[in-house]
Amino acid sequence: MTALLENVLDRAPLGVMVRIARIDWTAMSEDEGRRLREFGLMEGCEVTPLHRGSIFSRDPLALTVGRMKVIIRARQAAAIEIEPLA
Amino acid sequence: MTGAIPSIALVGNPNAGKSSLFNALTGARQKIANYPGVTVERKAGHASFADGRPISLIDLPGTYSLTPASLDEAVTRDVVLGRQDGEKRPDALIVVLDAANLDNHLSFALELLALNLPTVVALNMVDLATRDGLTLDAERLSKELGVPVVPTVAVRKRGMAELLAAVDGAIRSHAAGEVAVPAKANDASLHQRARTIARTAILSETPVRRWTQRVDNIVLHPIAGMIILLALMFVMFQAVYAAAEAPADFLEGGIGVVQQWVVATFPDNFLRGLVVEGLLAGVGAVVVFLPQILILFLFILLLEASGYMTRAAFLMDGLMGKVGLSGRGFIPLLSSFACAVPGIMATRAIPDEKDRLTTILIAPLMTCSARLPVYALIIAAFIPNTTIGGSPVGLQGLVLFGLYLSGIVGALVVAYILRRTVAKGAGAGFMMEMPRYQMPRLRDIAIGLWQRAWIFLRRAGTIIAMTTVILWLLLTFPQAPEGESQVEYSVAGRIASGLEVVVKPIGFNHDIALALIPAMAAREVAVSAMATANAIDAGDDEEAMAQSLGERLQGKWSLATALAFLAWFVFAPQCISTIAITRRETNGWKWPMFMVGYLFLLAYAAAGITYWTAVAFGLG
Repeated sequence: MTALLENVLDRAPLGVMVRIARIDWTAMSEDEGRRLREFGLMEGCEVTPLHRGSIFSRDPLALTVGRMKVIIRARQAAAIEIEPLA
Repeated sequence: MTGAIPSIALVGNPNAGKSSLFNALTGARQKIANYPGVTVERKAGHASFADGRPISLIDLPGTYSLTPASLDEAVTRDVVLGRQDGEKRPDALIVVLDAANLDNHLSFALELLALNLPTVVALNMVDLATRDGLTLDAERLSKELGVPVVPTVAVRKRGMAELLAAVDGAIRSHAAGEVAVPAKANDASLHQRARTIARTAILSETPVRRWTQRVDNIVLHPIAGMIILLALMFVMFQAVYAAAEAPADFLEGGIGVVQQWVVATFPDNFLRGLVVEGLLAGVGAVVVFLPQILILFLFILLLEASGYMTRAAFLMDGLMGKVGLSGRGFIPLLSSFACAVPGIMATRAIPDEKDRLTTILIAPLMTCSARLPVYALIIAAFIPNTTIGGSPVGLQGLVLFGLYLSGIVGALVVAYILRRTVAKGAGAGFMMEMPRYQMPRLRDIAIGLWQRAWIFLRRAGTIIAMTTVILWLLLTFPQAPEGESQVEYSVAGRIASGLEVVVKPIGFNHDIALALIPAMAAREVAVSAMATANAIDAGDDEEAMAQSLGERLQGKWSLATALAFLAWFVFAPQCISTIAITRRETNGWKWPMFMVGYLFLLAYAAAGITYWTAVAFGLG
């Protein structure tokens, strides 16, 4: 479990493209899950985390999905498992 | 199809350039109203086919799918399915896609195509897609989707004629008959199909180094970004003050000329008094603030159109998250600086119910443009027009900034408390698309500004004109006997004397008590009420008439009273429209009553503390 935690989007270094390996859909509400998919965040797609938080908090996270840039919360990013690009 | 004017709906994802396309198709011929029962803005306009047949267009709220996550997204679904009250099902759809974002936007397009309405796809912002190194094949996309695809650049009006011709053709050739009901499709497979189609339509894709990323590295930087945001806000409020001065003086002079002309032309009677002292003095005192309100809206529209607003929401999300809100709430709250009514309406985009309620309840704490007339009058009269230590920062602007800041800090504290008491709930989410940077288009900004100016002037012409006339009547009757003050003797004066007992402890005088009552209708009426009362007070005294309202107040109020009056207006919920919109948005009287109650308490406390502190420092 602890080993897996290191592979989540929430901990990913900024500016490096990674692939989404698995998303724990049960960790979020159905609406949140659907909105993630509407943003194009699905298993197998490639994302680049770019900006994280402000002086106030670690939240939120901005990342690119394809040619789109989206903002999600750290809580959702923690449910997204990632793997390095081959 | 009936013989009626065909109605065509524009549908698409947020940030697909739908509003620009709508503006390009309709020009200024558009009307903003609300859908009955809900307060989602309904934007409708007119255009015509090449042969002159008229069509009506509606611009639906941007959404990602037919499964809504918020109230305004639900309207889009209901309209295209023909379930929205008071809106017939559109005869055709224009699906607006961002050409540079095909893989994402095609999912919603596929869902809409399944409805089996005559449909045309506008492949919008093709110029930006080219800039990003994309080459697209509209023909191939059209073949895949089975409907016409027209490349457009809405902001340059490119492709508009072709788009309308395609719509005309689609309506003609559409096989009337079965109306499809959307199947509950598995959304994951829908997204897969969208990506496959997008890949077919994209001929080549060369990665381009994007300057926008370098901009975001600075603008979203935890420290640099925050400094930029604060600097922008500060410039905005300084500009409201500095740039509006000349046009405001011009308007004021103009109203003076009209007043003198009426006095010189008509005999002295009841009607002339009503027009000069009631209507012109009252409404005029508010209309002079039009330049300031327009400058504020200009900034908000520019920030929105350029794509910066979402960056600001990103930066503020952390802070707003601390008090239980989300960055989503930043946009409604920033709009509330212009007016709480559109601000509260904009909260419909917040998916979490408790998050939304809290945002509604604190929206009136954002300093709206209706307070500007009050602040501007008092600051100009009581705060010296000097700069601080040789810097270009003006003291008057700084006080104004301080007032705005008090409202914001107050709002954060209130939100923190509400989220732990009456609006308790799990932490709100924050998921948002970040639009690309774009050069704001003069035309879109001009249309937006014109709409705001019109709303403001209509208010001045209705609510404000009516309340000032009623106030003038209450101030004029009964006629005071020789040697007594007319204002004190009148009906309004006597009511104010009663209220004065309550507000005396916080330093308010008879003038203020008198202004507070009609200002329940709208805050800026406080200014017009004082103007009317002073005009009557001055009577035929030429010297008094020549003085401006500010100069007259200077002679009558202490600095402590003036400051307490400013503090009062940071919090006081004096706006019928805000109360009404809150009732509508929360479906009942419970929350608006709660809002009015807590805000009056805060206003009284803030004015009191300000007054007592100022008196202690010898400013009484």
